[in-house]
Amino acid sequence: VTRRRSGIEREEVRLAGWLVAPALVLILLGSLVPITATVWEALHGRDLRLPWLGRPLVGLGNFGEAAGDPRFSAALARTVTFAVVTVPLELALGLALALVMHAACRGRAIVRLAVLIPWAVPTVVAALVWRFMFDAQAGVVTAPLRDLGVVGERFDWFVHPLAAWVPIAAADVWKTTPFVSILLLAGLQTIDPELHEAARMDGAGAVRRFVTITLPLLMPALVVAAAFRMLDALRLFDLAYVMTGGGPGTATEPLSLYAFIVLMQRLRVGYGSALSVIVFLLTFGFALIWVRALGRSLVGERT
Amino acid sequence: MLAVVWVAGCAERDGVTRLTFSGSALGPEAVLMRRQLARFGERHPGVRVELRVTPDAADQRHQLYVQWLNARAPEPDVLQLDVIWTAEFAGAGWILPFDADAPDVADFLPAALAPARWRGALYGVPWFVDLGLLYWRTDLLPGPPQSLAGLRDAARRVQDAGIVRFGLVWQGARYEGLVTVFLEHLGAFGGGILDARGRVVVDEPAAIRALSFMCDAIGPGGFVPSSVLTWQEEQTRFAFQNGDSVMMRNWPYAWTLLQDEAESRVANRFAVAPLPAADEGRPSAALGGAQLAVNAWTANRGLAWELVRFLTAPEQMLERARLAGQLPARRSLYDTGRLEQALPIPIDQVRRLLDAAVPRPVTPVYSELSEILQVWLHRALSGQQTPSTALHEAAREMRMLLARAGLTPEEQVP
Repeated sequence: VTRRRSGIEREEVRLAGWLVAPALVLILLGSLVPITATVWEALHGRDLRLPWLGRPLVGLGNFGEAAGDPRFSAALARTVTFAVVTVPLELALGLALALVMHAACRGRAIVRLAVLIPWAVPTVVAALVWRFMFDAQAGVVTAPLRDLGVVGERFDWFVHPLAAWVPIAAADVWKTTPFVSILLLAGLQTIDPELHEAARMDGAGAVRRFVTITLPLLMPALVVAAAFRMLDALRLFDLAYVMTGGGPGTATEPLSLYAFIVLMQRLRVGYGSALSVIVFLLTFGFALIWVRALGRSLVGERT
Repeated sequence: MLAVVWVAGCAERDGVTRLTFSGSALGPEAVLMRRQLARFGERHPGVRVELRVTPDAADQRHQLYVQWLNARAPEPDVLQLDVIWTAEFAGAGWILPFDADAPDVADFLPAALAPARWRGALYGVPWFVDLGLLYWRTDLLPGPPQSLAGLRDAARRVQDAGIVRFGLVWQGARYEGLVTVFLEHLGAFGGGILDARGRVVVDEPAAIRALSFMCDAIGPGGFVPSSVLTWQEEQTRFAFQNGDSVMMRNWPYAWTLLQDEAESRVANRFAVAPLPAADEGRPSAALGGAQLAVNAWTANRGLAWELVRFLTAPEQMLERARLAGQLPARRSLYDTGRLEQALPIPIDQVRRLLDAAVPRPVTPVYSELSEILQVWLHRALSGQQTPSTALHEAAREMRMLLARAGLTPEEQVP
C-alpha cells in the first residue's frame, strides 16, 4: 500500500536530507576514502623495503599472486572453516541462554548481568586468560586431563596443528555467546505470550510450541545474530594473534593475520593491501548474499 | 628576516639545538642513557639531547621506525638499530652512510661489523653485542659438552635419571629467536643460510642434518620438551631458573637474573659456553646486539655523527657494560683489566664465545627471509613436515623472494 506524501511531508524529507548530510560526509571520509586508497594500493606493486622497485601499476597482479599463494589459500580455508564451526555453536548456546534468561522470573537482572560479563572483557585479555588455562604445565584445563591420562605427560595444545584450534574456538564461543543471547532475548520478548497461551489451550507441548511458535518468530533475530557473528568470525584476528601467533607453523593462521604479517612485517604494501581487499570482499559479499537471500524473504513474509 | 630563519630551523629553539635519540630505556638502561646524554650535552654547550623512548619489543620498535622514516621525519636524529635492520634501512635509503669522516672501525669485532655494512659502505656503528650462550649446570655436568653428541648424551642421562625434567631448553616459538637457535645448530654442522655471495644454501645436507638434530631432540625419547615451540627467552629462563633443565640456550641478560638467589634455584651452579659442534662444523654463538645509525633526514648531520662517536667510544661502552651488563663491541676492551670488573660473566668464558660469534645474513629483506624460515622450521619441529621438505620449500621461497627483490647473485640469474 503506497501513501501519497503531502506537501508538509515532502518538506520534512528535504529537511531530513540536510540534517543527515554531515553524517553522510563523515561516513564517506571515514570509510570510503580509506577503502579507495587500499584498493588503489592493491593495484600497485609497492614494497617499503625495496624502494628501488618503485610503485609500478600491476593491475590484478597482486590478486593473481594470492591465487597462487598456498599460504593464502590455506588461510582462507581455515578462516571459513572456523566461522562455519563456531557460529552454529554460538547460535545454539546463545539460544539456550536466551531461553533461560527469558524464563527466569527471579533474579532476572543478575542472570543477565552474569551472562554479559564475557562480552565485556576485552578480547586480548580474554585471549591471555584462555591461553593460560590451556597452558601445558599449569593450565586448569590441561592438568586434570593429564592426571586422568586423557593426554600424555608432555602434551601441549599449542604444539599440535589441530589441538591448537581448541583454545581459540573455546575462547571465541565463550566470548561471543552472550552477544548472541542478548540479541535473541530481545527477539523472544517481541513474541506475544498469548500465542503460547492459545497453543497450550490447544494441547501443544513445550517442544511443539518451541518448534512452531518460538523458532519461526525468532528467525529474524537469528538471521541478524548469525550475520553479525559470521562477519566477525571471518575477520578473526586478535584471538589467533595473541594465543598462537598463527602457529604451530601456520596451522592456526587466519586470513587477517596473514594480511597483517604481509603488510606490517614484510612491508609489502601492494600485496598486503590486496589481501585486505580480499578479506573485505569476502565479508562484504557474505553480508550482501545473506541479507538478500534470508533477510528479504523474512521481511517479505511479515508484510 | 632573522626571525624567519630562526623559526625555520625547528630543531633550534631559544638558541638551544635539540637532538633526539631513540632506543631502549628500561631500568638500568634508562639511567645509563640519561647520564651519557647529559654528559654529551655538557661537552657541547648549546646542545640538548632528548631521549625518545620506544617500545622494547623489537617488532613494535621496528614498526614505529618504519613509520617515522618512511614519512621522512627528521627525528629521531640518532637511532638504535637491531643488527638485522641495518641493511634494510640502508637499502631503503632511510639512514646515512658514513662518508669521509667514518670512525676508525679497526677495533670493532668483525662479526659485529659485518651487519653494519651494506654494498660496501658503513651505515651503522656497533654499540653492544649479544651472543647466544649455552648455560649449563656445573652441579650436574662435569664440564661443558665438547660435541653435539656429547651434549645429547649428557642431557639424556641426567633427564632419564629423573634428576631434572628436561635436558635442554631453547627458544622454539615462531619468531626471530628460533632463527638464532637454528643458526647455532647450522654452524655446529658446518651449514649456513646464505653463503658469502648471497646464495641460498639452507637446503644443503649440512642444514638438513642440523634441523634433523633439532627435530630428534624435540621428538619422542628426546631431551627438549615440545612446549619450547611456544617459548621465548623468558619461558626458557624460568624453566632453567627453577632447576627444571640441565642446559639452556639463552642470551647474556639471563646471567644476572639467574644469580639472584631470591628468585633462582641455580645461583652459582651454572656456567656458559658456546653450543658445541658436530664433527663437520664449529662451535657457534648467534650474534645479536645493537648498532647506532643516523636518520637520513636529520637536520643536524654533523652533531648526530658526533653523538654516535661519543656513545660508541670506549669510555661509554665500559660504563654500559658495568651498569647494564651489555658486552662492548670493541675488541680491545676485552684485553684490558677494566672490563673484568665491569661484566657479570667471567671474562674468559666471554672471550671463548666471541670467537664463536656468527652473524645472520646481511640483506635488506632479512626479516622476510627470516619469517619464511621461521614458518618452515616451526612446521618441521611440530611434525607437520620432514626437515628435508621444510628446508627445500623454505629455500625455494627464499630464492623467489631474492629474485623479486632484484638481489639474486649474478650467477643465479636464469
